[in-house]
Amino acid sequence: MQNTTDPVLSVKDLTISLPRHADRNNAVTRVSFDVKPGEVLCLVGESGSGKSVIAFSVMGLLAKALNITHGSIKLQGEDLTHATEQRMRELRCTRMGMIFQEPMTALNPVMRCGDQIDEVLQEHTSLSAGERRQKVIDMIEQVHLPDPQRMYRSYPHQLSGGQRQRIMIAMALILEPVLLIADEPTTALDVTTQAQILHLIRELQSERQTGVLFITHDFDVVAELSDRVAVLKQGEVVELGTTSQVLSAPEHPYTKMLISSVPLHEPPERHAISADAPVVLKTENLDKHYSTFSFNRKNVVKAAQNVSIEIRKGETLGIVGESGSGKSTVARCITWLIESTDGRIWLAGDDIAKLPKRDLRNLRRKVQIIFQDPYRSLNPRRTVGQSIIEGPMNYGESQVEAMAYARELMELVHLDPDGLDRYPHQFSGGQRQRVCIARALAMRPELLVADEAVSALDVSVQAQVLKLLEQIRDQMQLAMLFITHDLRVAAQVCDVVAVMSKGKVVEYGRAKELFSNPQHEYTKALFDAAPGRHFQFARN
Amino acid sequence: MPPESSTSAVISEESVESVDIRDQPAIWTRLIKNPSVIIGGLIIAVILSMVPAAPLLTSLDPTDISPRNRNKPPGEMTVHKDEEGNKYEIKAVMGTDKLGRDVYARVIYGARVSLLVGLSVAIIAVSIGLVIGLVAGYFRLVDAIVMRVMDGLMAIPAILLAIALVSLSGASLFTVIFAIVIPEIPRVVRLVRSIVLSIREEPYVEAAISVGTPTPKILIRHVLPNTIAPLIVQGTFICGSAILLEAILSFLGVGVPPETPTWGNIMAQGRDLFQLYPHNIFYPGIFLTLTVLAINMLGDGLRDTIDPRMSKEI
Repeated sequence: MQNTTDPVLSVKDLTISLPRHADRNNAVTRVSFDVKPGEVLCLVGESGSGKSVIAFSVMGLLAKALNITHGSIKLQGEDLTHATEQRMRELRCTRMGMIFQEPMTALNPVMRCGDQIDEVLQEHTSLSAGERRQKVIDMIEQVHLPDPQRMYRSYPHQLSGGQRQRIMIAMALILEPVLLIADEPTTALDVTTQAQILHLIRELQSERQTGVLFITHDFDVVAELSDRVAVLKQGEVVELGTTSQVLSAPEHPYTKMLISSVPLHEPPERHAISADAPVVLKTENLDKHYSTFSFNRKNVVKAAQNVSIEIRKGETLGIVGESGSGKSTVARCITWLIESTDGRIWLAGDDIAKLPKRDLRNLRRKVQIIFQDPYRSLNPRRTVGQSIIEGPMNYGESQVEAMAYARELMELVHLDPDGLDRYPHQFSGGQRQRVCIARALAMRPELLVADEAVSALDVSVQAQVLKLLEQIRDQMQLAMLFITHDLRVAAQVCDVVAVMSKGKVVEYGRAKELFSNPQHEYTKALFDAAPGRHFQFARN
Repeated sequence: MPPESSTSAVISEESVESVDIRDQPAIWTRLIKNPSVIIGGLIIAVILSMVPAAPLLTSLDPTDISPRNRNKPPGEMTVHKDEEGNKYEIKAVMGTDKLGRDVYARVIYGARVSLLVGLSVAIIAVSIGLVIGLVAGYFRLVDAIVMRVMDGLMAIPAILLAIALVSLSGASLFTVIFAIVIPEIPRVVRLVRSIVLSIREEPYVEAAISVGTPTPKILIRHVLPNTIAPLIVQGTFICGSAILLEAILSFLGVGVPPETPTWGNIMAQGRDLFQLYPHNIFYPGIFLTLTVLAINMLGDGLRDTIDPRMSKEI
C-alpha cells in the first residue's frame, strides 16, 4: 500500500534534448522535484523556460522532436520514461489528469459536454450507462456548475470560458487521479473567473488529497495557490522551496530579479499633474454600437456607452476592465481605427469624432497606438527601419530625415540603431515592442495609446517596457492612454484610472484613491478577485 | 528631442530574453529538396523545350495533308516530297491520321497551343482576380456587390460560354482563352479575398492605417505580399485545368480551329476511327496527361514548400 507521505510524482535528473538548430541543447536540464499527495507544486518560469515541456513529458505527450535523454519520471514508483504507449494510455485519466490553457479549444465543439466526460468513463471503467451518467452529473455538481442536467446536454460553445474550464477539470478529476497537471489553466480567463477556478482547484485537491503540478508564469497565482515552488530558468531549476520562502526571501539572483519585477499592487506616490496642463484628449458621451441584422430583427451590442474621459499633457489615464468590457473599443474609437456611433472626441481642441476623412489625415499623426501582440504588429516582410519610417514619409519627410530620426528613436528605446536593417523575426518579443514604441514616436504624437501593450510580455521584460514607457512620457511630455486588464500594471503606471464594465465607465478617479478606497461594487469585486493581493513579495 | 540614453546600454538590458532567430533554410533549398517539385518541374521543362525546338524535332509540316499516307499505324514508313519535288521516306513514329498528317509532328506542334492556353489563362485569371480580390476584400461595400457578380460568373459553365462565343465570333484561340478565363476569375477572387479579409485585421495593417499610410499603399505594401505564395500555387492548378479544358473544347469542336494542331483537336479527329487506329488518341492523350500531371505535381510541391499552412488544412 502507498504510504501517504511518499511522493505521487518524482522527477529525477530529467534531461530533455531539443532538436539541432535550436537556441539551446536541452529543453530541460537535470530537473528534479517531487509532488507529494495533497500538495500543490508550482513550476514557474518565463516563456521558453521549459515548464510546459516538463508537463507534457510526464503525460507522455512530448512532441516527437524532443527526447528524454537522461533521468526518470516516477508516478507512484512506476517509471514513466520507459512505459509503453498502451500503459501510458491507461495511466492518463485514471492516475493522472491534465487541464490545458485554452478551454476554448481543449473541448470537442461537436460533442455534448456530458458525453465528453462520459467518454473517459467508457474508456476506463466497466460501469453501466446509467451509473456513468449519474457519476458524470455528480462530478458536474462538484465543480459547482449550475443545473448539471442542462450542462450535461450543452455543447461547449454554449458555455463561458470559466464554465468550460470547469468541464475540463471535471473530466480530469472524474476518475480520482492521484496527480493533476494544470498547464496555465487560468491564463486565458478574466481575473474574477480565474479566482473562482483557482478556488475550485484548491478545494477539490484538498478534498481528494490530489497532488497538483501547476504550471504558470504568474507569481500572483503562485502566491495564491501553491505550497511549494520550483523556479525554472532556461530549462534548469534555479530555486525550489516553500512558497513563502521563495517569494518572500528568494536566494537565487534570477528569482530575485523575477519577483522584484512583479509590479506592486499599491500605486506609488506620483508627482501631480498641474491643473493648467493642457487637455490633450477629451471624450464626451462616446458611444459605439454594433448592429447585426437577422431577418427583420436588429440586434444592437453596446460596446461602449457614455464614455467621458480626459487626459492632460504628461498624464497617464488607465482604462481597466475584463474582456468584453469595451476598453479596447474606446481605444480604437480614439485612434480612429473604428468610427464612433455617437458622442464627441476632442483631440488637442479639434472634434475628430465626425470629421471627414480628408481632414482627419492631418490629425491622425497626433494619436499613435501600440498593440498587444508584438509578433503580429510588425509586418514580417519589412525591415524594422522601413516600418518606423513609413509614417513620417507618408507626411512628406524625406527618407534621409526619417532614417536619422529613426536612429535616434532606436537609441531612445534602448535598441541598437544598426538593427534598423533587420527583420522583426530577428528580435525578441520585448525588443519588438520597443520597435513598435519607436514607430509610434516617429510620428511625434501628442497622445500615445497603449492597448494591452505589455500583456503578452514576460514579467521581467514587462517591467523594462513599463519603465521605458514612463521615461518616454516624461521626457516627451506625452499624454498616455493605457489599456490593461492587469490591476498591478495599472497601479504602477497610471495617474488616473477608469474602471470599465459592460461598456460603461463605472468608476473614475485618481489611481491612489481608487486603489486604496474603491467605491463601486464591480471595482471592489475586481480588486478582491486579484490573486496574490495580500502576499508580501520580496523587494530589492 | 535629446536621446538621453547612451548607446552602450543598448540591448544588454534584455539579457534575460533569448533572441529568437529562426534559421529556416532559404526557399530555394527547400524547393529543390521536394521530389514532386523536381519531377514535375523536369517534365514541364522537357515539354516547354518542345515549343521552340519543334522544327528541330521534326522536319514535317503538321498541317501537310497527304492522301497516300492515310491511317498508317505507328512505325510504318511514309512518303513525302521535299521542296524540289524529290520523294523521300520517313518513319511515322506515332503513325498518321485519316488525312495523312503525321501525328508525331502534330503532337509536337500541338504543345505550343496547349501551353500557350494554359499559361495565358493562368496569368490573365490570376492578375484580374488579384486586383478584384484585393479591392473586394478590403472595401466592404465593393465586396457585397462584386462577390454577387462573381457568384454569377461562377455559375456559367466554361463549355457553354465557349459554345456561345464561338457561335458569335467564330472559333479562335482568343475565344478559347476568353471562355476559360471567365469562370476561373471568381475562384482567384475568392482566394485573394479570403486572405485579404484575415490580413486586414492584422495589427500591422492597423498600425499602417494609424501612421497615415494611404489605402493603395497599404494594399500593395502590406496586404499584397501575403497573397503571392497561395497565388503561385493556385496559378499552377489553373494552368493544368485550362490545358485540360482547351482539349475538351477542341474535342467538342468549339475550340481552336480544327486545322491548327492541338492535343484536343488531334484526339477529336481520331475519334471516329478510334477502334481501328487508337494511336490518334493514344499519343496526344499521353502528352496531355503527362503535362497536367506534371503541373499538378509542381503545384502540390510548391504548396507544401512555400505555403505549409495550406497543405495541412487541405
